[in-house]
Amino acid sequence: MNNLYILLNALGYRLINPGLSLTASLTSLCLLSIAPVAAEPLAVEALLKRGYLDDYHSNVVFGYRIVTETEKYGARYTGNRLRCSNCHLNAGRQPDALPLNVAGMYPKWRSKNGRRNGIGLRIRECFVYSLDGIMPPEDSPEVLAVAAYISYLSHGEVIGNAPPGRGVPTLPDTGYDPNPANGKAIYVARCSACHGEDGYGKAGAPPLWGMDSFNGGAGMADVHRAAGFIWANMPLGSERSLTHQDALDVSAYINMQIRPGDPRKSKLLKLFESISGLVE
Amino acid sequence: MRNLRLVSEILPWRPSLAGKLNLTTEAFAAIVGAILVIPQGITFAYLAGLPPEYGIYSSIFVTLFASLFGSSSMLGGPNTAVAILIGLSVAPFSGRGSPLYIDYVILLSLMVGLIQLLIWLGRGGKYFQYLSPAAVTGITVGVGIILILSSLDGILGLSPSGTLFFFEKLFVMLDSWEVLINPYSFTVGTVTVITGLIARRYIPRYSILIAMAAGYLAGLILMGLFTQVNTEIELLGHIPFQALPLSYPKMDLEYLLVGISMLPNAVTIALIGLAQSMVIVKRLRSETDQPINVDKEVFAQGIANTLGAFFSSFAGSGSFNRTAVNQSLGAKTPLAGILSAVVVFLLISIFGPLLSHMPMAVIAGTLMLVGTGMIKPQEIARLLSWTGELLVFVITLFSIVFLGLQTGLIIAITLSIIMFVLSASKLEIAIRQEKGAVQIRVEGHLFYASIDQLSGLLKHHRSESVVLDLSVVSYIDLSATEAIAKDLLKRDCSATSFVIVLTSQKMLEHFEQRLDGMPVQFIQHLSAQ
Ligand code: HEC
Ligand code: HEC
Repeated sequence: MNNLYILLNALGYRLINPGLSLTASLTSLCLLSIAPVAAEPLAVEALLKRGYLDDYHSNVVFGYRIVTETEKYGARYTGNRLRCSNCHLNAGRQPDALPLNVAGMYPKWRSKNGRRNGIGLRIRECFVYSLDGIMPPEDSPEVLAVAAYISYLSHGEVIGNAPPGRGVPTLPDTGYDPNPANGKAIYVARCSACHGEDGYGKAGAPPLWGMDSFNGGAGMADVHRAAGFIWANMPLGSERSLTHQDALDVSAYINMQIRPGDPRKSKLLKLFESISGLVE
Repeated sequence: MRNLRLVSEILPWRPSLAGKLNLTTEAFAAIVGAILVIPQGITFAYLAGLPPEYGIYSSIFVTLFASLFGSSSMLGGPNTAVAILIGLSVAPFSGRGSPLYIDYVILLSLMVGLIQLLIWLGRGGKYFQYLSPAAVTGITVGVGIILILSSLDGILGLSPSGTLFFFEKLFVMLDSWEVLINPYSFTVGTVTVITGLIARRYIPRYSILIAMAAGYLAGLILMGLFTQVNTEIELLGHIPFQALPLSYPKMDLEYLLVGISMLPNAVTIALIGLAQSMVIVKRLRSETDQPINVDKEVFAQGIANTLGAFFSSFAGSGSFNRTAVNQSLGAKTPLAGILSAVVVFLLISIFGPLLSHMPMAVIAGTLMLVGTGMIKPQEIARLLSWTGELLVFVITLFSIVFLGLQTGLIIAITLSIIMFVLSASKLEIAIRQEKGAVQIRVEGHLFYASIDQLSGLLKHHRSESVVLDLSVVSYIDLSATEAIAKDLLKRDCSATSFVIVLTSQKMLEHFEQRLDGMPVQFIQHLSAQ
């Protein structure tokens, strides 16, 4: 049934636009011979310099831009001042900092909704929770572009095998409960220079809490996962200098602060937050 | 002289051009026009594969420039057919909605505008007048159906990429409706459409507004109960709106190559955009007494698309539905269009944050309302008694719905020209026997395509005296004259006489020159002139 649909689709396209597809493929050929895209994927930065890109590569570049300049290219669905690359460091290319070369790990089955969940759903979830925004539709250009970028980064990975450094390191159990009071001291000493006394961020460093940060449903709002991220990547420039316990404490401190609520629970809150933009 | 006329067509509209200006009427029409154009701009941006803000920019800038340089109350801006064609043209070159894609759309729009300006310089506006009213009704109804079909995506929560072909969409919808249709979107869309239809009966002026408010509320309630994350109701999202979205078409080797391969499409889009605008202009000219200048309107469309490319806008054309509403509200000058652009700007700057939670299903619902409004049964009923017109209507409609807009419009234009030629080549002939001679009175154009009808008659009456009354024939060409001459030569001149009755001096000279020395007599009726 599906194949028939694809066939009809292709047929319809040819029928209506016989000249177009021909000229288009001719141009692509012509342009690609000027600037051939190598068999080994180039660094995205090299793609950025190209004037002409085909359908797939233009999506890869678009995806890269969304990840690194979310406030501009992903503005439609974002609700805070974060960028994807604030957490997915180095535009999702750094192990132990939530790398995005994970296309081979999807789709995976979830018993919850009885459906196969592709990389699209993960991307949309980060928009809703980490960026405290609106759930984009599965087929929105933004989601498709980030998916293309992720598949580009995943070139060379083995399908079904977790790439090295996926996610963040899981810290060993220290035997102590997280202690926010100690966390506060560490925060003031080690983090506030960049992220600000009030945690609202400064030029160059993103907010860690407040209404412009990730919301209560985000992966980063999980104390243990955030601790892993902080231990492996923060303070920026002297990574892995905190002890496991300090990382856990500061993570607990950060996650005690005020931040937007989990949109699965706070129902209408999101709307009022956005309408309050009217008053501002 | 000619240059002077060109210059006068370039000048923008000023209030002094309108004799009596009713400001409140124009302003009210502008507000309604602005409210109508926002959902359309957003959806047409979708059809063109662009983010919604580009639809808003087009609604502002293309509308503004088209009215500023126009001479009528026609409202320009984003247009269904043009948007769909833009999407089809650029899609093969880059990913939908990506920055590169947007660059190409802007390049294409600039090309469309420039081509239209060339048509203006070549005084091409008059050729669009040949579109027959039946074809126009066919196009309007066809576009209405396309609007309804494309609104189904949003209402049912399907994907907008399936908007291209009618049969595909039905196929997909029937094939896997259980997974495709989002019940929440469906509820919101249905509430919008039904409220709109009810409101249209009682308070037509505000029906779209009421429908949108009802849909928005339904969306809020559903999201309040079940959250957006769980319902997956598709929202418009934040519109990164800039007051002055300057852009410029990039020009380097690669863009040039892409531009060249988009050229055939640019020509098609330019023609189709103009064809629609000219149909609207034609209708306005027959129904109102606005001082409309067709060539100036061509210029306005061209310059609007050209300048639009520098303000992040995609190409547009005149809008059937918005012009109709504008007209029904009594707007008579381009001022309504100019103000409506300003109102769009104000509305988006003030209510932009509210719009971010507007369900796409509501926008699709208003589109469906607009689409149903374009299908007017009384207009179709009017055609029923004219077989020829009905045929043109049915063929146009059928080809637009089943073969796509592009093909459909070309068929409509071809049919109109055929109809025109057929009617022009038909002669009205009356025959009477009087004073021992056959009186043949001819009405119509005497030229190569119509002469056969007459020469057959002349041959039939060769043995009798003939009075050929051409007093109401306004045009005669060489081959028609020669055909008459040929018949004269075969006549028995001694027994019969041949008289031609004429009015115009020019035709008389023409005949005297060609039929010199032949047994023919001329009577000139100056009185009939
Ligand atoms: C506040 C920090 C933060 C931001 C900002 C953020 N993410 Fe994430 N993202 C996370 C965390 C934490 C996880 C891991 C969550 C988990 O495993 O459940 C994650 C996981 C992911 C994954 C799955 C990775 C895997 O290993 O399977 C994808 C894909 C993703 N994010 C995409 C994005 C995109 C796209 C954006 C920008 C629109 C974004 N993220 C912004 C924190 C963030
Ligand atoms: C040298 C400045 C600097 C210091 C010190 C620093 N950070 Fe960061 N931090 C950054 C920057 C910059 C980013 C964003 C990374 C990017 O965009 O590449 C970031 C990102 C983060 C993020 C993820 C983004 C977000 O907003 O949630 C967290 C969590 C974080 N830092 C926690 C900490 C903690 C905890 C400390 C103290 C232990 C700390 N940082 C110290 C500069 C710093």
